[in-house]
Amino acid sequence: MPATTVPDATTADGALLVLAIVLPVVGILLSFVLGGRCAERIAGVLLPAGLGVACIVFLKVWQGGEPLIYTVGGWQPPLGITLRADGLSVAMMVAMAIVICLIGVFAHANFGSRAASIETRAPLVFWVMLMAISGAMNMIFIGGDLFTLYVALELLTFAAVPLVCLDGRAETLQAALRYLLFALLGSILYLIGTALLYGSYGTLDIVLMSQRVHLEPATLAAATLMTVGLFAKTALFPLHLWLPPAHAGAPAAASAVLSAVVVKGSFFLIVRLWFDVMPGLLSVAASQLIGVLGASAIICGNIVALRQKRLKLLIAYSTVAQIGYLFLMFPLAFSADPLHLQYGDALTGGMLQAISHATAKAAMFMAAGLVYAALGHDQISELGGIARALPMTMFAFGLGGLCLIGLPPTGGFLAKWLLLEATIATGQWWWAIVITAGGLLTSAYIFIVLSRAMGPPSAPLTLHAAVPKYQEVAALGLALLSVMLGLVALGPIDVLQVGRPEAPMVQLR
Amino acid sequence: MPAYLAFAPIPAFAAVLFVSDDSPLVVGPARLHLTFALDLPGALLLGVAALLWITAGAYASPYLQGRPNRGRFAVCWLTALTGCIGVFLAADMVSFYLFLAMLTLGACGLIIQHETADAWRAGALYIGLGLLAETLLLIAFVLLAMDIPGDGLLIGDAAAALPTSPHRDLIVGLLIAGFGMKAGLVPFHVWMPRAYAAAPTPAAAVLSGAAVKASILGMIRFLPLDTALPHAGTLLAAAGLFAALYGVVIGMTQRRPKIVLAYSSVSQMGFIVAVIGMGMIAGDGRAALAAIFYSANHVLVKGALFLSIGVIAATGRRYLWPMLLPVAIIAVGLGGLPLTGGALAKIVVDGPLGDGAANTVATLSAVGTTLLMLQFVRGLVTTVSTDQEATAAPSLFWPWLSTAVASLIVPWALFLAVPEGMLPNPLAPELLWKALFPVLLGAILAAVLWRWVRRLPHIPEGDIVVVLDRCVKIAPAWGKTVEQAEGMLRQWHVAGISLLALTLALGAALLAQ
Repeated sequence: MPATTVPDATTADGALLVLAIVLPVVGILLSFVLGGRCAERIAGVLLPAGLGVACIVFLKVWQGGEPLIYTVGGWQPPLGITLRADGLSVAMMVAMAIVICLIGVFAHANFGSRAASIETRAPLVFWVMLMAISGAMNMIFIGGDLFTLYVALELLTFAAVPLVCLDGRAETLQAALRYLLFALLGSILYLIGTALLYGSYGTLDIVLMSQRVHLEPATLAAATLMTVGLFAKTALFPLHLWLPPAHAGAPAAASAVLSAVVVKGSFFLIVRLWFDVMPGLLSVAASQLIGVLGASAIICGNIVALRQKRLKLLIAYSTVAQIGYLFLMFPLAFSADPLHLQYGDALTGGMLQAISHATAKAAMFMAAGLVYAALGHDQISELGGIARALPMTMFAFGLGGLCLIGLPPTGGFLAKWLLLEATIATGQWWWAIVITAGGLLTSAYIFIVLSRAMGPPSAPLTLHAAVPKYQEVAALGLALLSVMLGLVALGPIDVLQVGRPEAPMVQLR
Repeated sequence: MPAYLAFAPIPAFAAVLFVSDDSPLVVGPARLHLTFALDLPGALLLGVAALLWITAGAYASPYLQGRPNRGRFAVCWLTALTGCIGVFLAADMVSFYLFLAMLTLGACGLIIQHETADAWRAGALYIGLGLLAETLLLIAFVLLAMDIPGDGLLIGDAAAALPTSPHRDLIVGLLIAGFGMKAGLVPFHVWMPRAYAAAPTPAAAVLSGAAVKASILGMIRFLPLDTALPHAGTLLAAAGLFAALYGVVIGMTQRRPKIVLAYSSVSQMGFIVAVIGMGMIAGDGRAALAAIFYSANHVLVKGALFLSIGVIAATGRRYLWPMLLPVAIIAVGLGGLPLTGGALAKIVVDGPLGDGAANTVATLSAVGTTLLMLQFVRGLVTTVSTDQEATAAPSLFWPWLSTAVASLIVPWALFLAVPEGMLPNPLAPELLWKALFPVLLGAILAAVLWRWVRRLPHIPEGDIVVVLDRCVKIAPAWGKTVEQAEGMLRQWHVAGISLLALTLALGAALLAQ
């Protein structure tokens, strides 16, 4: 690469990126101004609008084959900051926007604001935080410098923590506090790393930094701190202590947001860090270490999931395991043999896994929430008869399970295929074993839950509450989406490569 | 809904009869698309499978009358049907894998239909081994995909590239292991007796007849039969012949007709696999069609025998023998009774089997199969209706009779379609005697052994899976240990130490370059 390059200029549709961030913020402000009763309606307007913006951005990037760029205030980096949407950004933006919108539909039953009822705290908190998460995620996806990403990361954390303890119970408050403390620890590590990088290079812009970054102790120390901090936020095994109680304790809609969306934000930052900020600096030993952590997450998370007695905890531990798959892409993308660098397959497989897991897991948490509402409990051994009482719900759960197992035609299958291709191309057969073992373990607990649900009840089944049909439809919609994601192979899968270097980056030394 | 199950396979059957051109159907863009095509092996299996699905579907409707969960049965039936037909039509690896998975899921639903404890256990075993097999096949397919020049994923291209692949032995091993599990090759046969015993009778008929043949077609599609692979072929042939004998021996200890038939399937599938293995040893492409012919015969015979279980159970003793005689003929035909499809199938596979030890074992297997089938008929007699005057309802009887007639006629139609001179004359006296001899020997042995059969030790259905059951009981202890370790990791001080240790480890790993 040349030593100096003309910085990116605002592209024709760059203003859309501002809109993607501003819309949720406007929603939050309006909610406070207009009062709690209006929060749901405001979210009902602005979240679909955000989805629309995301789709437009997606289409422009996909058809144009170039990233969208917006320089804030017209000042070029390093003086100013840039918003930049490449293929990774738009794929994640659209996926997360869809998931958030469907979760919003689902949440209407539990957090609806009825005019006649007394105004309560939970609905206002939920809708405001949902919009905050939407804005924070968009900021993460299109932020062009590490400090903007830090702001987005903090916003995401502070929006996610209240969702854990919406019901105000002591257990969930404890889980939320644990989440908050560990997340802040991760943030501190990230911030220290950012400061070190700024001290070394005088800029935090991703594009500029990718040109300047080179191997030196300060850089590697910064990278280490930032990565481990993000590991903590992503709940990568063994730093997962906060995730199961938080995701299992939150209300169903909140669990879906946390598991499907929030953990993907910090994961995305790790991808940005190693693929964009400092490409070529991840050593083989380090990438293998990340792979070992991912493999440990897959095996241990799945085994502990198998041991769970409660459905929501089972799904939460399943998230611990599925997060491991995301990190297997690092050893596959950064392998010892420079002639076989496989950015394409490994990166595409990993991101597809992130998106597939988001849709499938949201559907499964929604289904678990409906089961809990109907039965008054979610004991797996006592699920008998629920498949007959709520067939659409268990069908959604089953489809989500298919995606996690990695059966065709789901997005999970396509992700698994691409990751396996990368393992073979790089000669790392041991990751193939982990991937397949994880699929088998996942199928075991999916089968257990479904067979219990389809079995006869031990006592005559009485539903505690009627389940609104639109909630089931929302869950089933997400599940069907996870199944149909495998079909992106017939279409826009190549969008993920937009904005990526055509050839593998030469290692800088 | 279940009343119309018989109609769903008709388009597939029509496709076999009327489709003549061989241009493939391509769905999707150039980068990754699904391809469907109908070639001779696929057409043969698709035809007989569709025929069985039609008659078993007609049988299923009255069979399910008054039973619970009929809607779910229909959904699972149609899912399995789609998967089965799709496997026979798939021309690329992704669609093959897709329909194989669909077949497995649908079949599992059929197996657990009755919701008994045995059914759940059988379903779990079936889906577990099924997914394990598909996992091995997935890795093989990915390896094959890497070897194909260009972007295509056609099975034909993959099979053509396999002999020169750097991972050839690994791929062949994975394919044999994966398809072997699907075929019920010993020791992975354990799912067969449990699944067929647990499934409703029409489901057992289509699973044992049509669905299991997907694995045979898979072997033929992917394994390089035109290139000699002596070691892999020997392994496959030995495993197949062992299964052929093993299924017979264990089957003799069983009492229930359904389980006897299940072990017969273990034996017959092993035999077919042995034929493919012999073809691999010699690089003899004829083995493919021979195996397909044998499989096609087995589809209809097994289907007819399974359906007969329900018919005999609904028949009183007064009308037993008119019903039992055709059943016995079809059953012994599996052992190679002259003029039956089994005899024709034996003639067709004689070439690939050669004149050595394999042929001897094949003869032993024929003797054993005859013995086993007579055991089946004998067990069937004990299941007659207590009402002396009872007769099977026409809606059960006619589907069975159609399958029975088809199992006698279709093999001849296929055999006569073979060009003149390629195969020996089935009516030649020496061939008639060669076919009759093992059957006679089996019958004599049956007469001699009948008084001893009740003294044989009772081996549980699924035989060695009992060992697996004990392993399953140990597994929770390991799981508990992992769970306790995970609980420790989630304590604050351990998490803090983990964070610090991870920082140091990652930093050290990064610095090491």
